[in-house]
Amino acid sequence: MRISLTVNGVKRVADVKPNERLLDVLRYRLGIKSVRAGCLVGDCGICTVIVDGKLVKSCLMLATEANGSNIVTVEGLSTNMRPSPVQRAFVESFGYQCGYCTPAFVLTAHWITENMVNASDEEVARVLNSVVCRCTGYKQIVDSVKLALKWRREGGER
Amino acid sequence: MSLILRTTLPDFDYLSPSSLDELLALKAKYGERAAVIAGGTVLLNLMRLGFRYDYVIDIKGVRELSAIEYREGRGLVIGAAATLKDLENNEFVREKYGVLWDAVRQIGDFHLRNRATIGGNICNPTLQADTIAPLAVLGASIEVSSMRGSRRVAIWELVKEGGGLLLDPDEILTRIYIPELPKGSRGAYFKVWWIAGIAALAANIDNPRERIVRVAYSFAPSQELVEGVEKIFRQEKPLKVLIGDAINYIKTSITPPSDARASREYREHLVEFGTAYLLRKLLGVEV
Repeated sequence: MRISLTVNGVKRVADVKPNERLLDVLRYRLGIKSVRAGCLVGDCGICTVIVDGKLVKSCLMLATEANGSNIVTVEGLSTNMRPSPVQRAFVESFGYQCGYCTPAFVLTAHWITENMVNASDEEVARVLNSVVCRCTGYKQIVDSVKLALKWRREGGER
Repeated sequence: MSLILRTTLPDFDYLSPSSLDELLALKAKYGERAAVIAGGTVLLNLMRLGFRYDYVIDIKGVRELSAIEYREGRGLVIGAAATLKDLENNEFVREKYGVLWDAVRQIGDFHLRNRATIGGNICNPTLQADTIAPLAVLGASIEVSSMRGSRRVAIWELVKEGGGLLLDPDEILTRIYIPELPKGSRGAYFKVWWIAGIAALAANIDNPRERIVRVAYSFAPSQELVEGVEKIFRQEKPLKVLIGDAINYIKTSITPPSDARASREYREHLVEFGTAYLLRKLLGVEV
């Protein structure tokens, strides 16, 4: 079955089998390497992508279900090799250790800054809850998101 | 690596009907050979565990099944493919059907609720169906449709002993109906992991003769609604005494299961503690 997706603003077409997941297609057919496989049962959130403005775990979505949708991955956040404010906040606050979960957290943080600028710490935590960091560096990740939100509220990049 | 990942779901044909008639015709044609996919958060895992279907029918193409509609005086109608996030963000669900809202936001996580649907939560036979107990205390009924027509029954009548719904192979859960509740009704859901979920609803608290107090339990995957509780709370005694009476009655009338996740004794403890906590909170009784 032929599906067409808009991935980070670029129209992509792929021939997929019905049993292929969105994760499989993005990573192995379209070469989007920030989308990673973790638990594959929806627990860890490492495969998170934004589908039509919603955070989705791509290991639990069939590629065919995503036909016609607009997908954003971490590759779509930077412009001309310049990191987005959210990415810079992660660097600034050391919101990463081994880096495996980082794309998922950055993408989740991006969604938070786009959709819930005035969120309380508790609300932020409820969203971040969906992604697991096995290095357990959550403190720095939460700090990064808070910094990104602060920049956002104070008007754009530092 | 890629090979392993790509072969983890068995082969199937993907069907995406765009109208209810088309959907029901496909389900009638393929019956148990076809699985219905809404959010897919459970189905994909089941297929990885070895469940095989020749066809996977996507019901999200049938737009009307994703709607959530509230009508003053008539209540709430929820399409089976409405996502849990839609329910969480719905002001009527939050304000008028608090027990359901409270349960929904404790299911899965933020990302998963963008996909997971209420119909899937009711129908899926493996995990704790956290929406069933709240729907039971709310007095909800469900609409089940097939080519033969649709029927509307109390949700409780279709819940299977081990979880899941008693549906014929050609039937699909299409809508959930929740009646309008008395003004000022309150509800809450108490959940401990996949061990126990307790739904409680209270309305007309100040008037014993019209007082409504209902509780239902979910012990993944079995569900229990305790019918006699409402009668206990119709008595003219202090609420604190009635809560004690109700808990004693509940303890004798349900038998939680024992399994790998928790022993029966521990679940009995949770029932006693959680029920007391919820009823005190909803009825405004100090410890």
